Amino acid sequence: MRGADYVLKRTAFAIVTVFVALTLNFVLFRAAPGDATSSLRGCRNCTPEFRDALYAELGLDKSKLEQYWIYLQDLAHGDLGLSFVSRQPVWDELRDPILNTLPMVGLGYLFSIVFGILVGVIAAWRRGTFADWGGLLSALVFYSLPTQWLGLMLLILFSGVLPSSGISDPFIEFTDPSTWEVILDRLEHMILPSLTLGLVLYGEYALIVRSSMLETLGEDYILTARAKGLANWAIVWHHAFRNALLPIVTLVALTLGYVVAGAILVEAVFSYPGIGLVTYEAIFSRDYPVLQGAFLILTLSVVVANYVADLLYFRLDPRISA
Amino acid sequence: MSVLEVADLHVWFDLEQGGELHAVQGVGFALDAGERFGLVGESGCGKTTTILALMGLLPPTASVAGTVGLEGENILERGERTVSPHRWRDVAMVFQGAMNAFNPVKRVGAQIAEPMALHEVAEGAAAREQVGELLELVGIPAARANRYPHEFSGGMRQRAAIAMALACKPKVLLADEPTTALDVMVQAQILELLVTLSDDFGLALVLVTHDLPVVAQVCERAAVMYAGEIVESGPTTALFHDPRHPYTRLLFAATPDLYGEEDVASIPGTPPRLDRPIAGCPFQPRCDRAFGRCEEARPALRSVADRHAAACHLNDLPQEVPAA
Amino acid sequence: MSVGPDVATGDIPAPRLRRPLAATWRIVKSQPRATIGAIIVVFFVLIALTAPWLAPYGVTEKVGPVFEPPSAEHPLGLDDAGVDMLSLMMWGARVSLVVGFAAALVAMVIGGTIGLLSGYFGGRTDTVLMRMTDYFLVIPDIPLMLVAAAIWGRSLSNIVIIIGVIYWTTTARLIRSQVISLRERVYVKRATAVGAGHRRILFRHILPQVTPLIVANTVLTVAIAIFAETAIAFLGLGDPTLTSWGKLIENAFSHNAITVDAWWAIVPPGIAVALVILGCTMVGQAIEDTLNPRLRVGHLSVRRFRLRPLQGTDQV
Repeated sequence: MRGADYVLKRTAFAIVTVFVALTLNFVLFRAAPGDATSSLRGCRNCTPEFRDALYAELGLDKSKLEQYWIYLQDLAHGDLGLSFVSRQPVWDELRDPILNTLPMVGLGYLFSIVFGILVGVIAAWRRGTFADWGGLLSALVFYSLPTQWLGLMLLILFSGVLPSSGISDPFIEFTDPSTWEVILDRLEHMILPSLTLGLVLYGEYALIVRSSMLETLGEDYILTARAKGLANWAIVWHHAFRNALLPIVTLVALTLGYVVAGAILVEAVFSYPGIGLVTYEAIFSRDYPVLQGAFLILTLSVVVANYVADLLYFRLDPRISA
Repeated sequence: MSVLEVADLHVWFDLEQGGELHAVQGVGFALDAGERFGLVGESGCGKTTTILALMGLLPPTASVAGTVGLEGENILERGERTVSPHRWRDVAMVFQGAMNAFNPVKRVGAQIAEPMALHEVAEGAAAREQVGELLELVGIPAARANRYPHEFSGGMRQRAAIAMALACKPKVLLADEPTTALDVMVQAQILELLVTLSDDFGLALVLVTHDLPVVAQVCERAAVMYAGEIVESGPTTALFHDPRHPYTRLLFAATPDLYGEEDVASIPGTPPRLDRPIAGCPFQPRCDRAFGRCEEARPALRSVADRHAAACHLNDLPQEVPAA
Repeated sequence: MSVGPDVATGDIPAPRLRRPLAATWRIVKSQPRATIGAIIVVFFVLIALTAPWLAPYGVTEKVGPVFEPPSAEHPLGLDDAGVDMLSLMMWGARVSLVVGFAAALVAMVIGGTIGLLSGYFGGRTDTVLMRMTDYFLVIPDIPLMLVAAAIWGRSLSNIVIIIGVIYWTTTARLIRSQVISLRERVYVKRATAVGAGHRRILFRHILPQVTPLIVANTVLTVAIAIFAETAIAFLGLGDPTLTSWGKLIENAFSHNAITVDAWWAIVPPGIAVALVILGCTMVGQAIEDTLNPRLRVGHLSVRRFRLRPLQGTDQV
């Protein structure tokens, strides 16, 4: 099979990265000098015996290596520990929020990719014209706006028109809604956070696509295509775009970390009950188990997304073989 | 009637810092069907720009003047509009470094067939068949059409590029340094191929190169370019044995390096800047035979023998200029 | 092939970059994008530097009611504690810019050094180092910063270190690949043959060539660092004793400036951050684009070459 080597290498890489992420997670929260359980010191009702018992329960009395091993074993069973605040399993606290975040981020991402590609391609194609300057300017502006601030601006702009927080109308059940109305309600709540995320990402992607297309348009085979008599649009579509996709996929994969950061900020602004908001609240309340779990989920999703991007690149580039 | 007749071709490039570069200054030559013509000179002399201009493949910063006659019709008459219908159909090109002339993510056969469909020469199965024939013609097994460019060796890719150039059966083939960066054995094969094609199909060939042995092997006539203009043109043998311009003499007398390195490294100095008008002969600063007149007046390209012209004041002097 | 002049520009390419900083500055001056960007950044730097003298009020000086709208006396109104917004913006500039530049400096020093050494010496150390950074590059940067800030504390120096440490990897990779391609260049090989030591080659030959790239990358890192600071501040992890633009946004948000329509508390800091990021991005990208030879040529164009009527044979 073509490129079996490549696929294997990337899979191995993804697996190792997962382990690095897990270990980093552990090191940050357990082995760091600022002990994560120092928040317990603020606990007024904690007698020394209680504290010792808690220590033992959390396994903090064992050696770091033993703790690491227990940590890995727990993870294998899907046990992310207990929340400091609610004393409930962390996974329970994260599960629904993850499901809430996915469509919101997905929508924003889709928006940014579609418009990013559109504007980037046209700006590169019509280099030096108004379309280029306009596209470049709009991309730069949206790229520069701080995500949380853009969210606040949109909040102000659409206040009254669109809901400003939450994921759904808290009273909607009383109106006996149809499925369609429920979906619409969800969308109404999703649209502002998605749009915020989408706009900032659009800025970044439009810049990337434009750059990539410009580089591709300087390649020799573009001149050949022109010499053959192809029209500009045909050159862009049949030759340039397919080639520009390769670095675009790579660069888009590199920005995935930003998507995650954006999700956290956007959900904080709009109080959208996704994993970003959970992270925010966990930081606020120093709920380290939840923070650790959320960070792990976020990191793993980026690792997986990167892996998918690697495979996609492989599909697109016939030059990758052994 | 000549198949290709270029007359008084000028190309200017706008410069970023203002002003313009006069890259091609009054170039003219003519070719009959089946003729092979060499365009020789060092890097930057304007030879590539010249042939790009023949197909209208210049950037928007360029301005062009002159006529390019294709079987009598001036295809440069209204710029892009009159040039583009002839692209690939009547005039085709094999580019410098043709290794990159192919799109890396598309199959070679598809890329060869592409202009066929575009110019309504053949489509679908008929096109595929013709692609196979073309590949065989240049010495590549037809089955290779389904492969990607990176699966071809450098020499094979060059040959495939030639096959692609012939897809619409053009009358003129422009080859820009087709053998640079290829090893000597492959070089010889490519050159032989070009000679065969021009003999068998009456293909007029313009071969641009800085490599003189190549010109000697392939072309019956050649022109030497320096600083954007033709300084001497005529039968290749005449250029070798009876050069009438000091630049030609120095070029052709230089011992070719074993590895085909810079063959003009032996001429001290550098070519003149083309962003300002030149008083006198452009080669004068580097010329070993320059005299008073050379600094003041620019020599015109004049006939010095049968079909042999040169632009040098030495040819006006009464005494015979001994060939070096 | 590089002895003759470049037909398109009439230039003769130089093999070595003399006075790299001057050359970089020339690039900035030549591109309108970069010049505008530089002006914007310099403007804010000047504000930050002159704040102690020019700011009308102090950071904690209450001069009026909460969220008072803009007036002649207070052109940007008052914030949630009755403090003059204009002054806050000026003082805030100092913190935001210091964090941005300091973090970028940390990233540049670490990343630049590692990139230079790793690229130049190659070998096993290089492979191991790059492999390690590869793994870390996948981990999302800002969430990592948030976690680190949450755990280790919220002082300014911590934040600078955290941001710098996370961003050095990108700089290192960039510098390294450039150094590797330079290593193979003829003049480096010549220098080695003549017997020049590593130190000499690195400083005289390689570093000057890499400097414009380092500058471009550092400028772009400043932009990211400033944004990272606002994100950290927004989530309550910024230094509580200092006011940065990010903190101003966070203040406005957590004190419900939106509900009372106090746009003057939210809009200015965001615009300031956006402008500085915009300026840095324009400068950084302009330098990168100029250094990238592949962007100079474009075979596709909407406009066409022009025709000129012949005016006799003398066109010289």
